[in-house]
Amino acid sequence: MLKVDKINVYYEKIHAIKDVSFEVNPGEVVALIGANGAGKTTTLHTITGLIRPESGQITYSDGEGGQLDLTKMPPHKMVAKGLAHVPEGRRIFLQMTVLENLEMGAFCKGKASKEDLDNVFARFPRLEERKKQIAGTLSGGEQQMLAMGRALMSHPKLLMLDEPSMGLSPILVEQIFDIIAELHKSGTTILLVEQNAEMALQIADRAYVLESGHVVMTGTGAELAASEEIRKAYLGG
Amino acid sequence: MSFINNLINGISLGSVYAIIALGYTMVYGIAKMLNFAHGDIIMVGAYICFFVCSGAGLSPILGILAAVLVCTVLGIVIEQLAYKPLRQVTSLAVLITAIGVSYFLQNAAQLLWTSNPRIFPAIFGNGGVQLGGDLTIPYKTLVTIGACVIIMVALILFTGKTRTGKAMRACSEDKDAAQLMGININSTISLTFAIGSALAAIAGVLLCAAYPKLIPTTGSMPGIKAFTAAVFGGIGSIPGAFLGGILLGVIEIFSSAYLSTELANAIVFLVLIVILLVKPTGLLGKKISEKV
Repeated sequence: MLKVDKINVYYEKIHAIKDVSFEVNPGEVVALIGANGAGKTTTLHTITGLIRPESGQITYSDGEGGQLDLTKMPPHKMVAKGLAHVPEGRRIFLQMTVLENLEMGAFCKGKASKEDLDNVFARFPRLEERKKQIAGTLSGGEQQMLAMGRALMSHPKLLMLDEPSMGLSPILVEQIFDIIAELHKSGTTILLVEQNAEMALQIADRAYVLESGHVVMTGTGAELAASEEIRKAYLGG
Repeated sequence: MSFINNLINGISLGSVYAIIALGYTMVYGIAKMLNFAHGDIIMVGAYICFFVCSGAGLSPILGILAAVLVCTVLGIVIEQLAYKPLRQVTSLAVLITAIGVSYFLQNAAQLLWTSNPRIFPAIFGNGGVQLGGDLTIPYKTLVTIGACVIIMVALILFTGKTRTGKAMRACSEDKDAAQLMGININSTISLTFAIGSALAAIAGVLLCAAYPKLIPTTGSMPGIKAFTAAVFGGIGSIPGAFLGGILLGVIEIFSSAYLSTELANAIVFLVLIVILLVKPTGLLGKKISEKV
């Protein structure tokens, strides 16, 4: 579905991503784990075109026969192809209402349909209670739900989540991961970027470990969770 | 009675400032830049209307439409040629470019139309509405205030209710996130410049209807005052630009009527400084705390 092939990304002179390759197959949950500054967010930004790679290929197939070269596609055209990106720090529109945020999520569809809104509200009942509220007044957990709900409004085929657990209490983290598991069950392919390796590896079919811009390890979620090195480096022994 | 007259004149001048300030504030909100050439678009609009009405002798409606059309195109072209290549550089470079564009427009006007003053025709007629006693409100004043109110209400409805308007607000808050929603940033910025410049054209016509002396620098002082009004009301806020414009106009007319004609401008800026000292975000400026 998504194939990232030897991409290299620079911030001015800093070589942030070095020959990174990975794949996401339809129906999978794939996790990118690694410490702060390993290049996880940069990788996602490169996929959605907010940053362009110096070299390498990123191809995406939407399941309808088309092979799209994402390195040449303007970022605003991607969401219509089924590629939704929930960025790090949620990046919801803080001065707009909850409902308006969801409407923006459906921007590529034209108008937000009642059915889609009801679906999001069924998954996140808190958002329905607060739909008239300015998004900046929501709690951190509610903002994460809004960011995910907003992405779901576009009917993503591939949902990319960047640090959905960041800054949330353990109970909320559990809740967010339950929702990710549900989305996966209902057929959405997921690319998950997480610092919380423990949670990410529990849910992931496969995972890649990034370290200073390199992919240093890959395997199934269970394999990596059992690996000695991973336990030492990311799971606290 | 003269108090009422002064008040009405102040609101009328303030309405012109408000229409200009709305353009400043919208462009600032979306493109995060101060378009100092905005005032000179006003001047171009006024010249176009002048040539259509006085030069070609056509109806004022055509004159206004032509001014709006030319200024809209001019605004989009300026954005594409001068500002778009500078999206990724420091805002200081963009600011200096905007000042350059401002001088370019003034000099081009001087070259094309000379610096001899033209007398703008009384396109709204010389009459007015008699309100009893010696109080008459000229038609041009009514048109100016009416246009300002209509424009502000239309902009509030546009940004609050329409899909494109909401996309504009999304862009003004977070361009990357807006792109991830499928919003085309470039066309949104172009649209903002188009709307702002169309408003500037209308403001130019209204300004010259009230103060008929038209020269290539006609737009620069009102442009700076409208920028002040936008900051005064809280830059980025549409109702703020409206309120700031009206207040500025009223303060200016009252200062020159009751205090000193020479010092009117100084008093206007003094009030601005005091307001900003007390409330740095302007009267209706938003400050929202981000939760993590």
